[in-house]
Amino acid sequence: MAGEPRESFRPRTAYIPWDELPIQRETVVGIGTVLPVVILYLLIAVLPIAFAFWASLHDIHTLNPEWEWVGLDNYYEVLNITTFWGSLWRGLVYMVGSTLIQLTVGLWMAVVLNRITRGQKLLTAVVFTAYLIPTIIVSLVALRVFDPAGGVFQMMGAEWFGLWGAREAPLGSREWAMPFLILIGSWKFSVFVTIFTLAQLRAIPDRFYEAAKVCGANRWQMFRDITLPRLVGIILVVVLLRSIFMFNKFDIIWQLTQGGPGNSTTTLPVLAYKTVYTNQAYGLANAIAIVMFLFLLAGAIGYFMIFNPSEEVETTA
Amino acid sequence: MSQNDPPGGLFGLSYDGETRVFERLKLVSTAIIVLVGAWPIYWMTQLAFTEYRVVEDGVTVFPTPEIFTFGNFTVLTDPRMYTYMFNTVVVAIGTIVTVVIVSLIAGYGLARLNFPYKEHFARILLIGYLFSPIVIGIPLYQIWRSIGLLGTRVGLIIALSAVSMPFAVWLMWKYIMTIPEAHEEAAWVDGASRWRGFRDVVIPQCRPAIIAAALFAFALAWNDFTFAQILLPSTDTTTFAPGILRAMGQAQFLPDAYLMAISLAMTLPPLLFAYFMQSYLLKGFQVRAL
Repeated sequence: MAGEPRESFRPRTAYIPWDELPIQRETVVGIGTVLPVVILYLLIAVLPIAFAFWASLHDIHTLNPEWEWVGLDNYYEVLNITTFWGSLWRGLVYMVGSTLIQLTVGLWMAVVLNRITRGQKLLTAVVFTAYLIPTIIVSLVALRVFDPAGGVFQMMGAEWFGLWGAREAPLGSREWAMPFLILIGSWKFSVFVTIFTLAQLRAIPDRFYEAAKVCGANRWQMFRDITLPRLVGIILVVVLLRSIFMFNKFDIIWQLTQGGPGNSTTTLPVLAYKTVYTNQAYGLANAIAIVMFLFLLAGAIGYFMIFNPSEEVETTA
Repeated sequence: MSQNDPPGGLFGLSYDGETRVFERLKLVSTAIIVLVGAWPIYWMTQLAFTEYRVVEDGVTVFPTPEIFTFGNFTVLTDPRMYTYMFNTVVVAIGTIVTVVIVSLIAGYGLARLNFPYKEHFARILLIGYLFSPIVIGIPLYQIWRSIGLLGTRVGLIIALSAVSMPFAVWLMWKYIMTIPEAHEEAAWVDGASRWRGFRDVVIPQCRPAIIAAALFAFALAWNDFTFAQILLPSTDTTTFAPGILRAMGQAQFLPDAYLMAISLAMTLPPLLFAYFMQSYLLKGFQVRAL
């Protein structure tokens, strides 16, 4: 009796079904929301790694489906081939060199882009494009400008600076291939750093700087005490990501030099790829992949233990 | 220097002097960024509009009227190039849609619902960053072959979506956390279901994060070479990056000017995205924690 008239008085009575349901229901829905991610993750990360580990214990010819059990022999072989340690070293050089350049250039570009007043939107768009255009196009342009037949950079290096001979291809020389790989990659991937830091810079309210100015802080003090603390967290994350991505980089190296000349730009991913498709040793390649993953895992855990990026970020929030 | 001036800045400069130095540094920096950032794009563009025979012969700086041509763009109608580019567009759109839908739902779940091991789940997702495309690609070749996804665009879309997933999920999670829960509660009080609240309250406010995640997925798919190279071995389903590299290996003569024309066509969509979406993009990336 009392319920019905009240319903008509307040037709929009709060109806929150979740409050009346047992708490398990929320758990079920919550797990349901992440289920697609879990499935994709299992399919694309866990399963391949498990598969790679299983395959690494076998001797497999790439085109031949017969698997021959060899136990840990592949790992023994991986750690004993000289190309492995050489590739690891070159990979580290590539990773550290690229990450340092990208961090410096990326931060600098972000600070400048944040401060310029005219043409900001256009310049930001041009800079961002570097990150968005396909790597293959960066490679095609780079191959073109370093080509001995009509490449403008090749010509400038040869004629203006005498760095190499007129008919020499810098990307085909043992001396120049690696430095140029690092520089060309940095042209594209510095922007990754810029995007993240610029986003952080935009989020700093102007009144912070005004207050500091009133208090008599100079620009360096402003940068040190306002800008930098805001950026530390994201820098730690970005350095971690960039290092991992550069260590894992395969595409740009393969497109520019295919690991050559000789082995002078062969990093671990390139070595793994060559092992599958040139040496047809599928099992061995998987062993390389697993070892690579373990190296990265150890490196990342170490990084987290020293810097703890996620916690750092939360304290500055 | 009057009493009211702020105390000296770097190198004993007054505040105004310091400002002048910074202004000048800013101008120089801008000039360098313009030069280094825009130069390769300019070079590509000018080569794309220059007669290919001239390009083969030597260095050109600007396509003057006598060597200017649109002819290089005829390569875009070449059935093979057309297929590569079509495949790339399909893969990019597929990846964006998958990533945005899945990460929105998961991000909402992580931000608003309580369930056990939530934090662990997010942390384990981070390990996903450690997998090199090559580490995943080599075993995936065999797995996709045995379940029949090898050489299909769907197989590539799944692989690329999974790779951009950890990042996108974290982005959404952290972004949704910044939206006050009261907004949804207000909707619930008005009788909306949780789904309605998610659809009508959360999603519209997530636009920056959605665009950021979409752009990230787009960059990944548009960029991808490694997965496509391994997972799309046949020519008719392959995407642009491995396709063009194979075409260069097979073709007797594929002029550089043609390659630059194709490259320009593939660069325009990202350039437009970067121009029109940048404020959303930057807003989406403002979340602090990853």
